[in-house]
Amino acid sequence: MKAIRVKQPGGPEAMEVVELPVPQPKPNEAVVKLGASGVNFIDVYFREGRYKAPLPLILGQEGAGVVTAVGSEARSVKVGDRVAWTGVPGAYAEYAAVPADRLVPVPAEVSDREAASVMLQGMTAHYLSHDTYPLKRGETALVHAGAGGVGLLLVQMAHNIGARVIATVSTDEKAKLARGAGADEVILYTQADFEAETKRLTGGKGVDVVYDSVGKTTFEKGLNILRPRGMMALFGGSSGAVPAFDPILLTQKGSLYLTRPSLGNYIATREELVARSGAVFGMMAAGKLKLRIEHTYPLAEAQRAHRELEGRKTTGKLLLIP
Amino acid sequence: MKAIRVEHQGGPEVMELAEVPIPQPKPTEALVRIGVAGVNSIDGQIRDGRLRAVLPFIPGQEGAGVVTAVGGQVKTVKIGDRVAWSGALGSYAEYVVSPEEHLVPVPDSISDEQAAAAMIHGLTAHYLVNDAHKLKAGETALVHAAAGGVGLLLVQMARAIGARLIGTVSSDEKAELARAAGADEVIVFTRQDFEAEVKRLTDGKGVDVVYDGVGKATFEKNLNVMRLRGMLVIYGMSSGAVPLVDPAKLSEKGSLYMARTTLAHFTATRQELLARTSALFGMIAEGKLKVRIAKTYPLAEAAQAHRDMEGRKVAGKLLLIV
Repeated sequence: MKAIRVKQPGGPEAMEVVELPVPQPKPNEAVVKLGASGVNFIDVYFREGRYKAPLPLILGQEGAGVVTAVGSEARSVKVGDRVAWTGVPGAYAEYAAVPADRLVPVPAEVSDREAASVMLQGMTAHYLSHDTYPLKRGETALVHAGAGGVGLLLVQMAHNIGARVIATVSTDEKAKLARGAGADEVILYTQADFEAETKRLTGGKGVDVVYDSVGKTTFEKGLNILRPRGMMALFGGSSGAVPAFDPILLTQKGSLYLTRPSLGNYIATREELVARSGAVFGMMAAGKLKLRIEHTYPLAEAQRAHRELEGRKTTGKLLLIP
Repeated sequence: MKAIRVEHQGGPEVMELAEVPIPQPKPTEALVRIGVAGVNSIDGQIRDGRLRAVLPFIPGQEGAGVVTAVGGQVKTVKIGDRVAWSGALGSYAEYVVSPEEHLVPVPDSISDEQAAAAMIHGLTAHYLVNDAHKLKAGETALVHAAAGGVGLLLVQMARAIGARLIGTVSSDEKAELARAAGADEVIVFTRQDFEAEVKRLTDGKGVDVVYDGVGKATFEKNLNVMRLRGMLVIYGMSSGAVPLVDPAKLSEKGSLYMARTTLAHFTATRQELLARTSALFGMIAEGKLKVRIAKTYPLAEAAQAHRDMEGRKVAGKLLLIV
């Protein structure tokens, strides 16, 4: 089979197309013939060596396809099942061996491409809006990077719940996308101060929750626009990590809450993983969650996919098709 | 009138009994003849300079008494009403003026001693278990300083909710008090490591919530005794301020939440203040909440009350009888 392998960490050119034997499942694993693989920033971090993994490494953390073989102890899937997963390396390939308890069923209404697009970003948007801070109708949420991969999905879910959504974006084009996803208000943070704008838009009251994947450049101002007892959900650091801070700030800004969630802790059990992915697929099947699959690339063009992702010119999901 | 006056910040001895004029209420204020004043650790922090104050001043933030005069625009109280309050500086005196919206009615079934003893500690315990983290039956909570002023009340309220409660205390004598209040498990932290004990008592799962008024000394270990997505509520810092916090730690330890709360944000509106005090006085009147008054002192002996409080030998509330 064909796979994209990294022998030595480096730039996009560190990824080479190689011919390997189709993997055999260990007792607890299933082998999946991939229909689509998601391209994520975490893949870049592994490629560069910023995140460590044994080499040589087949990249890719997210995919969807059909089960072609199962190990002797794998109970949760059978040959022929359509499945998807996230958080297991090896998806940039024609076949991948995955622990069976990390595979979730994909309903007939959802294509491989759609399933591969939402495993990481869709479940992230879901846990943020339904568990980290369960948004309620009538509440107001600020979503940073509202036209980003998670952002566009989070805006839709928050809108569907009935919350008022304020999104921040960097360009007019992205503002249109965020509005199209259901954002009630969009702040172009390159032109307006999001702190002042959010205060104005909420009549000085502040928002119930800030969903922040930007981190360093937005954190402090985010604390200033929360209502008393509001929640800062910091789930990434695209501008850099938030430095250590004095917790008394949380008191001074109004007895605020801070959490720093990650997806792994919200799909920690098989039960929760299946429930969460099922909820996301259900929204898609019902037409309540629109995906923006911006580009698909043949597997062999993984280098080009990474170059375009890192150029930050894309606004939707990138997929590799084996 | 007689009052305790502080002319320069320092040890307990800077509190001297003085003869000062009775204050006059402004149009939106009421004048109260104080029956009982509560002694709180914050009074010590203002007295010795850890918190700033405008000199000279009369200490004391909490008390109960009878309205003897009202300003021209006062609507919510009238002369003769029995009232209690927290947050009105100047309560170590025979009279105090307070904005009317800070005064709450005291039912006949509650004595001045009970009312004054319950305002800060009782309202704090109430917002912690009902709002800061809404404790549910079947959850497990860790309460530090479980035989302290807030601790003993919090333990009783948690018990009434049906939660399992683990308390930490410094001595066997305090352990007995915490058990009598309803703690299921008590850790004497002076001879047992609370991290190891909590893990043992929860079979390694950790607690749903930690209520911490200790701060610096307990912070790091607190992060190790919570379940995935557990909540740390810091409401005080008797051991000193918590040092700078790297938000990434909350992620590494299991997508944890932290809040750094203060009572004022949980009694911010008149409606919330009244609802909370009414719930609190109701529990006391029905005998569901026992307020432990450790010792009472004449007003003139305020300095001795501070010495006893700061010697950490008392378990329960200290009051000045005016």
